[in-house]
Amino acid sequence: MAPFVYSTLIISLGLGTTTTFASTHWYLAWMGIEINTLAIIPLMTQNHNPRAIEATTKYFFAQATASATLLFAAVSNAFLTGEWDILQINHPLTSTLTTLALAMKIGLAPLHSWMPEVMQGLNLLTGLILSTWQKLAPFCLIYQIQPDNPNVFITLGLLSVIVGGWGGFNQVQLRKILAYSSIAHLGWMILILPFSPPLTLLALFTYLMMTFSLFSSFMLVRTTHINSLSTSWAKIPTLTACVPLILLSLGGLPPLTGFLPKWLILQELTKQDLAPIATLAALSSLFSLYFYLRLSYTMTLTMPPNNPAGTLPWRLNPQHNTLPLALTATTTIFLLPITPTILALFTS
Amino acid sequence: MLKILLPSILLLPSMWLTPKKYLWTTALFYSLVIASTSLLWLALPAEIGWSFLNYFMASDPISTPLLVLTCWLLPLMILASQNHLMLEPINRQRTFISLLISLQIFLILAFSATELIMFYVMFEATLIPTLIIITRWGNQMERLNAGTYFLFYTLAGSLPLLIALLLLQNSAGTLSFFTLPYLPPTHLTLWAHKIWWVACLLAFLVKMPLYGAHLWLPKAHVEAPIAGSMVLAAVLLKLGGYGMMRILVILDPLTKELNYPFIILALWGVIMTGSICLRQTDLKALIAYSSVSHMGLVAAAILIQTPWALTGALILMIAHGLTSSALFCLANTNYERSHSRTMILARGLQTLLPLAAIWWFTATLANLALPPLPNLMGELMIITSLFNWSMWTLIMTGLGTLITAGYSLYMFLTTQRGPLPNHLISLDPSHSREHLLLTLHLLPLLLLVLKPELLWGWNA
Repeated sequence: MAPFVYSTLIISLGLGTTTTFASTHWYLAWMGIEINTLAIIPLMTQNHNPRAIEATTKYFFAQATASATLLFAAVSNAFLTGEWDILQINHPLTSTLTTLALAMKIGLAPLHSWMPEVMQGLNLLTGLILSTWQKLAPFCLIYQIQPDNPNVFITLGLLSVIVGGWGGFNQVQLRKILAYSSIAHLGWMILILPFSPPLTLLALFTYLMMTFSLFSSFMLVRTTHINSLSTSWAKIPTLTACVPLILLSLGGLPPLTGFLPKWLILQELTKQDLAPIATLAALSSLFSLYFYLRLSYTMTLTMPPNNPAGTLPWRLNPQHNTLPLALTATTTIFLLPITPTILALFTS
Repeated sequence: MLKILLPSILLLPSMWLTPKKYLWTTALFYSLVIASTSLLWLALPAEIGWSFLNYFMASDPISTPLLVLTCWLLPLMILASQNHLMLEPINRQRTFISLLISLQIFLILAFSATELIMFYVMFEATLIPTLIIITRWGNQMERLNAGTYFLFYTLAGSLPLLIALLLLQNSAGTLSFFTLPYLPPTHLTLWAHKIWWVACLLAFLVKMPLYGAHLWLPKAHVEAPIAGSMVLAAVLLKLGGYGMMRILVILDPLTKELNYPFIILALWGVIMTGSICLRQTDLKALIAYSSVSHMGLVAAAILIQTPWALTGALILMIAHGLTSSALFCLANTNYERSHSRTMILARGLQTLLPLAAIWWFTATLANLALPPLPNLMGELMIITSLFNWSMWTLIMTGLGTLITAGYSLYMFLTTQRGPLPNHLISLDPSHSREHLLLTLHLLPLLLLVLKPELLWGWNA
């Protein structure tokens, strides 16, 4: 893509999200979200193939519906309570409607159907932007909603964890697996929102680190299918050794970082006397662990049938920038021992 | 504490910086030094309380034998793996040894943990290196299934444990082992409390394993390479027993009624798995089921919570750790020569490998609990205390002992006595490394006959 166009789109993405971050009026927040959506549409259609166009169309429909619902909720709130302030969503109807609209924006179950198909049509970099950056603006708004009854959030959260796990079971396309993994993690974040918003931010932060490192790993070895993962040991052997740890961290196994948000969320839920919900969420996350384990089997722990001549590809001077991967992978694997520091960062 | 933990942690960079020629020598030597230093822990100044304390780690009469066993096992694992890893590229050898060392670090932290959440995190942390050892270096295709069963059985048990521990922390305010025994007694009357009781124990029962939840064990033990089988049989199963001993302290008034189904399952498992052993053709599977059988006795003993039972359980755990690991090493010597685990393909080996037959004989006698070995002391104390709890258990434990003797002799007579198979043309003679390995397993077992007080736990 031409550099001028590309930079305009990237800057617009940034502008949209920061506008939403900086706003207190619903109109401005909605505008920021719309700028975001409009800016990413051309990025999605970079590769002019029908699959990408289909993904873009589906994304546009889902996001437009959600934005319209969001605007409707904001206007209804102004009509019913006279308040345009984001923090003043007091009416139960509008708060629920806002939550559902934002849930559709980020792809929580049961409003998640667009997510895997959209992700599948994008290249890995745009998929990364969709999974990480595009979640920030809606999360900023969800964070500011003060719910009086937590039932909507618990339902969305629990359903997302289960759907994210169960949906990814049968997938072989890596982007769809990443989409379902995204749904499951967002479920954990939403689950704890009514009880402890800082933990939502903590879960979001660790999820961003883990997803970034996994996407970067897949971009480095240029794979989008489970079968092509199996030959990545010949391309970058060290990466092949790190990715199982990143995957198991996504699955939430101690002593890796991914355990941290799950542990703290379960602690908060048990403090709120919701131990059965906590147990259900914890056991549902075992579903996602199954396909992360399958990915690590294919990539590292087994040797696929291949011809010896094909195992030594030309190792030309690599053009990759591996610094982001190095930083995020270190965060993904080693952060658990400094839990009190991280907790202090988010709850102070 | 730290004088063992920090050298173990620093073994990791040593493995990556040592030149190729000295890798195995260095690994073996340093781990032996650490193992010998860990024997200092056995000189406990306080007979019942905690010793060698810092804020996060301490040792206690029931964790000390397990800690020493863990540290002792690392040089043995390195000795055992040397042969089958020799043909691999050097970085993979380094990775394998690093996995063994990281397993050791997590196990030291687990057994010396002073707080339940730290114990839980380290308990779970041991899963990852074990999973990688089983699925990456196992030899058959079934190892993938084995890894999946291993991971998911353990996690399905331990996630409810996490929630149970968090609930306990809410009501007790702390999860430190120092203060847990002195908590005021709680009124545990509702159904929810019964479910909490089961959640606390389920993870450890799956790990031990209890008979109904034991399906992961034959798969994992059989498919793992020798170091994986050794560490699984010798130490990881004992993590379950140790966890049970620690947590039953606080589960008290409910335990008297709720332990019935689990004791029955455990004792029934002793007989069932023993009977399965009598019909096995796969040598490693026989030893794996034998582990389930012995651990069934340990589980039943820990659940009845009497002094002799706990002592017997601890002694049997250590003795079984050494014996089972020795048997796996012997099975591996067979596997390295014939590349098959089928028993009848490598039978009558006493004629060919007479010195190895001594080790087979000793290990078999240890497995069937011959006096004066600590295996017998453990089993006898367990059987006695179970008889005191209810005289009908004698039927099951007595029958279990008989069946254990049966299959142990079956294993010995098949592999050592009888005619040599006609297809064996040439077998490697026993390596000195293998003799050393088995000496290092069985000599501590024999020495423990002379001072069993080291293993008596809280009754010392």
